[in-house]
Amino acid sequence: MSAPTVEIHDVRKRFGRTTALQGVTFDVAAGITGLLGPNGAGKTTLLRMMATVLAPDDGRLRLLSWDPQAADERLAIRRRLGYMPQEPGFHRSFTAFEFVDYVAILKEMTERRARHDEVRRVLGLVGLEGVSGRKIKALSGGMRRRVALAQSLLGDPDLLVLDEPTAGLDPEQRLRFRELVSDRTADRTVILSTHQTEDVAALCQRVIVMLDGQVLFEGTPRELTQVADRRVWLADDRAAGARLSWRTADGAHRNIGEAPSDADLVAPTLEDGYLLLVGDRAFAEEAA
Amino acid sequence: MTTTWHADPIALAAYVEGSLDDVRASSLEAHLLTCDRCRDGVATSTPADAIDRMWGGVVDTIDTPHRSAVERLLLALRVPEHLARLLMATPSLRLSWLVAEALALGFAVIAANGTSGQDEELVLFLFLVVAALLPVAGVAVAFGPGIDPTYEVAAAAPMPADRLLLIRAAAVLASSVSITALAALALPDLDAIAAAWLLPALGLTAATLALGTWVRPLVAAASVALTWVLFAAAAAVSTQDRLAAFRPAGQVACLAVIAASAAVLAHRHTLSEGRIVR
Repeated sequence: MSAPTVEIHDVRKRFGRTTALQGVTFDVAAGITGLLGPNGAGKTTLLRMMATVLAPDDGRLRLLSWDPQAADERLAIRRRLGYMPQEPGFHRSFTAFEFVDYVAILKEMTERRARHDEVRRVLGLVGLEGVSGRKIKALSGGMRRRVALAQSLLGDPDLLVLDEPTAGLDPEQRLRFRELVSDRTADRTVILSTHQTEDVAALCQRVIVMLDGQVLFEGTPRELTQVADRRVWLADDRAAGARLSWRTADGAHRNIGEAPSDADLVAPTLEDGYLLLVGDRAFAEEAA
Repeated sequence: MTTTWHADPIALAAYVEGSLDDVRASSLEAHLLTCDRCRDGVATSTPADAIDRMWGGVVDTIDTPHRSAVERLLLALRVPEHLARLLMATPSLRLSWLVAEALALGFAVIAANGTSGQDEELVLFLFLVVAALLPVAGVAVAFGPGIDPTYEVAAAAPMPADRLLLIRAAAVLASSVSITALAALALPDLDAIAAAWLLPALGLTAATLALGTWVRPLVAAASVALTWVLFAAAAAVSTQDRLAAFRPAGQVACLAVIAASAAVLAHRHTLSEGRIVR
């Protein structure tokens, strides 16, 4: 891995009695890194820390080689940061253009003409140039998501933190998103949280799986897929030893778990690896 | 349509450069409307960057956000364009909020004009207490988590949240003070006491901002408002003078609150420039 742009060491966070993060450690380099995990795994808490809006109770973060706890270094990070929250809020009476323009001002773009050029550029990147004058309250959920993505791209940031950027997007928009993000990551760092394992498989060089505020897996998508090697097979019925099983369109059952010796093994997907990884932990906890 | 004569190439070049005098330029423009060949000549000799600049201006004019009455007023008052845009996202600077403020004070003024004697003093007391609280209410909903829907995005931006709150609070204070001052002019038997809300308003707003560096703006505003109402009522009861909180001793106390709050704000702002939430 090349030099890390995001370093997270033994980061902990509690909200009242709830432990959101319990000693998270990993490094991220330039490229696209996907965060996978079920709801409540701590992904959003971690992303909010990477976006400098939340401080850890304990542990150390370095973003783009700076310490977000130091005021001047935090400012330097924010000048190179793009952030799309999980639930981006809008002033609903604003148009898409006005909203992105507003965020551009918060990003210190004060010269009107240059700022407006940048707003048009990012709205064009997400395919919203045709509706930039429409009120946000009149836009569909997917379009609002793209408005939120557009504001995160302002200034072509070095660190892009995206919390579930493809939620609510239709398949074509998701493909456009992949194209957009993969085009700009030669020397940029993109960290995205998602429930869409296909996005991780298609986009990410690294993947981190979180569960219960801890890192469960860190590696490449291929390595995550290999977790399910020889553990996915087809059968006429649900297999007794299968952890998960569902009937596919052609009538056969796709089973995931400990395959019998005579099983009709099939190539696993990243989703199989993820399901087995998370399922194994839940199974181990149940057994304990 | 094409005419039988054509413009002098030297005049066309001067027109493209912008050096042709107004009379000849007007004449040439009238000709260009009817002559394809000369129009082509202008189009091909106009530098591409000049066309880009012109087109950029057209697009920018089309895209420029619609400016509300409040934003136009801010621009007329020489507030920089980008600050006016930021202020437009302030709930307590929307026209509806300002109208509600004016209506609340208007009813108080009408009540004051319709009473006399002891009742008149009571209505004046209520007017002064409420007038001092209006900017506090405006500041409470100016910016903060749970109030501004874009707070999360703003918190990750280079502009510190503290600075954004101060900018909005200053604008809210200015608008509230202006509206209240106009309302106070309509009070019966106008005298110095009618302006006695001003220092309390400044003091309460400063205290809200200072307290807001520890707790959320709504909590800060509610705490300050409750303290103020209790203070004004206690002063009235203990001195048998309903307007005691607004007499010189009360005004001095407000000055002390302003000074203390300013010191807290300066100290906390230095400490917490664009702070992150714990």
